[in-house]
Amino acid sequence: MFAFLLQSVASTFDRPAIDLHALAPEFVLTGALVVVLLVDLFTPKGSRGIVPSVAGIGILAAMVPVLTLALDGADRSMFGGAYVVDNFSLVLQAMFLLAAYVVVLLSTNYVAEGDYAEGEYYFLLLCALLGMLVMASSRDLITMFVALELLSIPAYMLAGWRKRDRRGNEAGVKYYLMGVFASAVMLYGMSLLYGISGSTLFSDIALAVARGNGLGDTTPLITLGVVFVLIGFAFKVSAVPFHTWAPDTYEGAPTPVTAFLAVSSKAAGFVALLQLILIAFIGRDDVVGPLMWVLAALTMTVGNLIALRQTNIVRMLAYSGVAQAGFMLAPLAVVGSNSDGARSAVVTYLLIYAAMNLGAFAVVLIVARKTRSAEIASWGGLFEYAPGLTVLMTVFLFSLAGIPPLGGWLAKFVVFRALLSPDLTAGGVILAVVVGVNSVIALYYYANVARQMWMNPVPDGDRTPVRIPFSLAAAVTLSVVLTVAFGVSDLATHLGDLATFLPA
Amino acid sequence: MDDLLLNQFLLLGAVLFCIGVYGVLARRNAVLVLMSIELILNAVNINLIAFGAFWGSITGSVFALFVIAIAAAEVGVGLAIVLLIYRNRRSVDLDDVAEMKG
Amino acid sequence: MSDFLRDYLTVGIFGLTGVALVGLLLGLGSLLRPTRPQPQKYINYESGVDPVGTGWGQSNVRYYIFALLFVMFDVEAVFIFPFATRVDAYGWFGLIEMGIFIVVLALGLLYAWKKKVLRWV
Repeated sequence: MFAFLLQSVASTFDRPAIDLHALAPEFVLTGALVVVLLVDLFTPKGSRGIVPSVAGIGILAAMVPVLTLALDGADRSMFGGAYVVDNFSLVLQAMFLLAAYVVVLLSTNYVAEGDYAEGEYYFLLLCALLGMLVMASSRDLITMFVALELLSIPAYMLAGWRKRDRRGNEAGVKYYLMGVFASAVMLYGMSLLYGISGSTLFSDIALAVARGNGLGDTTPLITLGVVFVLIGFAFKVSAVPFHTWAPDTYEGAPTPVTAFLAVSSKAAGFVALLQLILIAFIGRDDVVGPLMWVLAALTMTVGNLIALRQTNIVRMLAYSGVAQAGFMLAPLAVVGSNSDGARSAVVTYLLIYAAMNLGAFAVVLIVARKTRSAEIASWGGLFEYAPGLTVLMTVFLFSLAGIPPLGGWLAKFVVFRALLSPDLTAGGVILAVVVGVNSVIALYYYANVARQMWMNPVPDGDRTPVRIPFSLAAAVTLSVVLTVAFGVSDLATHLGDLATFLPA
Repeated sequence: MDDLLLNQFLLLGAVLFCIGVYGVLARRNAVLVLMSIELILNAVNINLIAFGAFWGSITGSVFALFVIAIAAAEVGVGLAIVLLIYRNRRSVDLDDVAEMKG
Repeated sequence: MSDFLRDYLTVGIFGLTGVALVGLLLGLGSLLRPTRPQPQKYINYESGVDPVGTGWGQSNVRYYIFALLFVMFDVEAVFIFPFATRVDAYGWFGLIEMGIFIVVLALGLLYAWKKKVLRWV
């Protein structure tokens, strides 16, 4: 019957060309998350360990098409330019997949031992990851909005995963309300941008934003739209003054989820900011530059100053993450004079930040398995019973502080380079000074944890060695290898320079 | 659609947006905050459809459809979180949800 | 003044007349009636009996999950209707695409069914 219906009417619909190879990472991941859901539904209760393995294999399988696309090297563009595969999207997709794999490794023991809903946990984790992959390829407002919600909505649920814990509830509701409010404000900005350009494609918006649409003076409308959209993503990357949810959510959420939010979710926010600022808003760097300048300076200073007085290590890492977001925002302030340098610096910083921060959270998880506490005081004398872990944690902390020859040092270096080249501007120089001062402040609280581990006595005198499960050991090993490798080689900067956008 | 008519829709959108933002900032009841956020999203939909009619393109309406569908998913999750809070605290007053500070 | 604004002038005059009328009648009433304030007079009216409890009524929480399922599937229909108007033009390509969409939705329903959400306890 349908065939008759189809043949009887002349078709005027242009079937979009769908490049299956270009979409393969998303398809593989979608398949993996369907399998995760079905495996969870149709295996008997108590057969744990299958679901995380399936999730991990699914993530690694999605990595294969990313690599083949990278070897192929051709830029691909689909759906009228709304969805592209270029160097930028491939580098970031590879990072999202690798970071999510480490998060699965971090979660395996935590979820299994905590009696949490296992199938749903990994299903939602993969959904959020799918949203991040789409985000890296989206060059269109609708695609970007759907990607943002696909990664945010599962994250709201994961943040409140500890259902019966009052802090877990608080983490969920704060993250949810702030996130939904931010995305509503961002949507209003997007509706204005659509209004001035008549299109949702970034390339069309870039034209209208730079030149107006020929229908009177639309400058105030453009400014309002740009500012609203940027503020929406400033929430996502926890930039001051939109950071208030971050510490509470990080503390109340399960620690593997915290690692996921602090690394992957934040990186997704930066990916969106880069695409918007460098493609769609490139004609209005007079608005974007000063806004990013103020956000960056405020974010790193406030984040660092509050981190100084934290006694809980997860909260300290949360505020340190706020401060690191400030360092990553800094290159975007000089986007008008050095847009290539800004893009390269932010991508490099994201890669290095992911490696060192995931490592720090992995060690926190391992130590908390023994001490059952996240207070910095409980870390006293870690060197006496776990010297290997102490050395690793020191590596991650000093890398976060930016001490050579670890990865974090290179990350700070590329930020300075982006701020001070190609020629010195007053704004760039002042911001570079702010970055320098903040790096020194940050050293104090990172070193404080190190002092606690190396110098102080064990608080309860319990010197039994820490047992490290295989998956957590693998996560720490992967992180430390990458942190050191990024520091001593030019791998991260090379990837940062490589991650160029498809020319519009 | 002429400019004057477009202005009225945009004005309605702006008023709804402001009411929504006021509601989010001023209300303490979690359910009312959710309703205020819905108001903002409706302001967005009005804008999108008015602009779509102005440009004579279907994109605005398509965008509005996605906003509607995703807003439903968001509210589903939001109500579930509020329900959890109610189960653990017997209250949905957001000022009470403040165990962690600093 | 354009026709357009004149139309709104009518609306404005109507609005003002309405406000004036209400103000006039309430003002007259307060001038004429005796005033003897009593605490009972300030209680909320609830069908003549004393009000009980707070202003928040509650319905059974089980309805929430049904409402949620309904809203989700109701909203997804929003994507199927525009598709249905042009099903002839889209051809087999459109049918397959919509089939994938509906299969993914059915997975959600399968999940709810296996988790025994659909059973009324």
